[in-house]
Amino acid sequence: MFLFILKRLAQIVPVILGVTLVVFLIMQMVPGDSAVILAGEGASIETVEELRENLGLNKPLYEQYFSYIANVFQGDFGNSLKNNQPVLDEIMIRLPITMELAFFSILITIVLGLIAGIISAIRPYSLSDIGVMVVALLGISLPSFWLGLLLMYVFSIKLQWLPVAGWDSAAHIILPAITLGAGGAAIVARMTRSSMLEVVGQDYVRTARAKGLKEHVIIYKHALRNALIPVITVVGLQFGSLLGGTVLVESVFAINGIGRMIVDAIRTRDIPMVQGGVLIASLVFVFVNLLVDIMYRVFNKRIDLN
Amino acid sequence: MKNEVVLEVKNLKTHFISKKGIAKAVDGIDFVLRRGETLGIVGESGCGKSMTSLSILRLIPSPPGKIVDGEILLNGKDLVKMSNEELRKIRGNQISMIFQEPMTSLNPVIPVGEQIAEALRLHQGLSKRQAWDKSVEMIGLVGIPSPEKRAKQEPFQLSGGMRQRIMIAMALACTPEVLIADEPTTALDVTIQAQILEIMKDLQKKIGMGIIFITHDLGVVAEMCDQVGVMYAGQIVEHQNSATLFRNPLHPYTQGLIGSLPKLYENQEELQIIEGTVPSPYDYPDGCRFAERCPFAQKMCIEKQPELIQYDEDMKVRCWKYTAQWQEESSSREMVTQ
Amino acid sequence: MKTTEIEKQPILQVSGLKQHFVLKKEVIFQSKQVVKAVDGISFDLFPGETLSIVGESGCGKSTTGRSILRLDEPTEGNVLFKGQSLTKMNKRELRNIRGDIQVIFQDPYASLNPRRTIRQMLEEAMAIQKVLPPNQRESRMLELMKHVGLRPEYLERYPHEFSGGQRQRIGIARALAVNPKIIICDEAVSALDVSIQAQILNLLKKLQKDFDLTFLFISHDLSVVRHISDRVMVMYLGKIVELSDTASLFKNPLHPYTKALLSAIPVTDQTQRKERIILKGDVPSPINPPAGCRFHTRCPFATDLCQSEEPILRESQNQHFVACHYAENLSS
Repeated sequence: MFLFILKRLAQIVPVILGVTLVVFLIMQMVPGDSAVILAGEGASIETVEELRENLGLNKPLYEQYFSYIANVFQGDFGNSLKNNQPVLDEIMIRLPITMELAFFSILITIVLGLIAGIISAIRPYSLSDIGVMVVALLGISLPSFWLGLLLMYVFSIKLQWLPVAGWDSAAHIILPAITLGAGGAAIVARMTRSSMLEVVGQDYVRTARAKGLKEHVIIYKHALRNALIPVITVVGLQFGSLLGGTVLVESVFAINGIGRMIVDAIRTRDIPMVQGGVLIASLVFVFVNLLVDIMYRVFNKRIDLN
Repeated sequence: MKNEVVLEVKNLKTHFISKKGIAKAVDGIDFVLRRGETLGIVGESGCGKSMTSLSILRLIPSPPGKIVDGEILLNGKDLVKMSNEELRKIRGNQISMIFQEPMTSLNPVIPVGEQIAEALRLHQGLSKRQAWDKSVEMIGLVGIPSPEKRAKQEPFQLSGGMRQRIMIAMALACTPEVLIADEPTTALDVTIQAQILEIMKDLQKKIGMGIIFITHDLGVVAEMCDQVGVMYAGQIVEHQNSATLFRNPLHPYTQGLIGSLPKLYENQEELQIIEGTVPSPYDYPDGCRFAERCPFAQKMCIEKQPELIQYDEDMKVRCWKYTAQWQEESSSREMVTQ
Repeated sequence: MKTTEIEKQPILQVSGLKQHFVLKKEVIFQSKQVVKAVDGISFDLFPGETLSIVGESGCGKSTTGRSILRLDEPTEGNVLFKGQSLTKMNKRELRNIRGDIQVIFQDPYASLNPRRTIRQMLEEAMAIQKVLPPNQRESRMLELMKHVGLRPEYLERYPHEFSGGQRQRIGIARALAVNPKIIICDEAVSALDVSIQAQILNLLKKLQKDFDLTFLFISHDLSVVRHISDRVMVMYLGKIVELSDTASLFKNPLHPYTKALLSAIPVTDQTQRKERIILKGDVPSPINPPAGCRFHTRCPFATDLCQSEEPILRESQNQHFVACHYAENLSS
């Protein structure tokens, strides 16, 4: 297990290199010149050129890239083109907010998804199963920004139970977390259901029944633990799309997280900011994936052998 | 004590009801199991032997399966009529079961010791510690070396033979009165099978439970069983002492089955075969279910189903050949031909 | 099989065949793990005979069959078919030779394409091997169906419409379609009920006579092997431990493993039951097989010599080969 973790950590380096390269190239390809944008409308050509010179934007691409990488590995993500503040400082302010949002969202995904999936699987094709699955289908189909606006309209504007936007109190977390977690919960619910239905037909569940175990022991101890194995993988994948989702949800609910930061930075061609944001987001994703793989092994020790 | 009846099955019928119709998987089975005795139920795939064994503990998948008739009496109490909760207290406690596939019958993510211990805590009210100790003791009892270490392992770390030993340890942990063994050695190699059969015989002597041994392997039956019921198309067609069954099979199906076995110490140019195929459980014929394949079949066999009749002491057979009517009919036939 | 027949030229010669599988490494620094599924076996197969390979799971019997056909590329060794080396052939030559060596598997259903009718399957087999000009294939197919005991109208049906025994007949028909010389039967009757098994065994015997076939019969079931074989080869952990004609192997097994194997078979006639030798423990892993004689960990007669020195397969009695240091001393 230790060697496995070590090996996986070593794999992070090429992933980071790849991510930075891709982001770097894409930012080069999108139309718009950061120097021009930065200099502001009506700036003279000289000013733009000077700015370009100062920022090192006139050097060959590969040189720009390598100096960036070298700096990143020293913990320097560069300065924002907009306000010349270090990118890392900006990220460190916003990261906790996004992580908090992501944490509660994934919690909703897991808890809601599992409960719904188990309810469905215990009595397949019953009314409760059909009900849960219809809701899950809606959860998958609804775009999250639309769901966010809908929730905002109902709970904040009409019922006035919860604050509309911002990020000041625990109450502010509820709506964005539900918005962000709902799609994942629906997917987890469907996965849990099908996985449970498969497991319930296995020989060892029959053995458990032949032993005289109580039904809830059979479901929660014998069936669920096995059914969770594929679900863990799905949760890990969901975390990826959840990170992507923060971009939208943070914008809808006016939350100053990484997602919104990246959107703003893209709008102003603030390349160091975009790169820094994406890099941090991918690091988080890679670590979460590692966590998922470790969990997967804890639940399913067999794969250690092969 | 030894000859006391522990389990009696009367006219058991388990049918599977689906859009395709009604499959009469088990269609009127009777047998008696005594303490310390092994009853073999033998037959080919689809004859209903496994469904019979699952029906006893009401473990058939339902729907579509359903026990539609009959009684299953454990010390006189009918399991068919019991509530689920009452039955649950009998499962794994007074009647336990081992299955064919040791690979899939154990939970892959729970240490085997815990899989044994949980039944002990449940049925015998042992503490966590006591149940674990007893579980380790059981693992030792079925002949697995270093049981403390093995108890903590998960099934994938054990060989097929060891897993089946664990299944046996699990089944016998609560010293049941009846052990149902559904093809317990079919998935194992012969040298491992020999070990497992030995262990089962050994433990039967110690614990004194009655065993219902379901198998398709006539050799295993000869080795393990005191009594044998031969099943065909959902019914018992012959019931004998295993000692006499192989020397003197009565039913034409049993005769055919024994004849089709390749012999280990005999040269045979050709094996005896049974012509035709088993009738569909959705649509059994009105007469004897074996008549279509039977070399002795007469008009009466096709018209009317024979009962399981007492042929001799400890010998029952479901065949018209052994009835008075058969004698009458054949003598009248002879008269006609003359 | 009479000795005069054995003096014929072998149709298939296997020498020094090894099949090692390298396990995928979990971590970079882990030492390489090799499963020695078949570890240096040599034998000859003579035309018209049935040679059985018998042994328990993991002994390498099925792998041997697959290696001969190069379904798995053998690690080492040579296989000669009528003097030509199969192991040195290129893909095209090998494809041509595959018509001469056919296989029947345990689970016929898995080896039959579910979306093709029996006719399409047989036609395809004949077309690939260019057995007959297309206009003669129809009558050949009808003939084949008759040979394997299936009704001609079944040609238009799909595999799922048949029972296990019938599917095995289809598998046999497909193998026969290309006029093979050798048929490798890999656990061909193991999944069948005894009454069906008897039908298929009788059929195989009859076809062997009618078409002059050579069988390499791979099975774990000793009574089936006893019935069908002329010679028997017993394998344990990738090695041949005993090789002899059937009668003398069953009457006078020389290797302690063979003795144990035979004694472990439950028989219906309890008067014929041998004194049972119960082997201790499980078959060791083929990843790190025991040094010396591979059977020494379970052998009731093992000595220090068995732990250190590997016994070679030698002719202990006339045409009866055994790989045991003490075979002669143990004979009862």
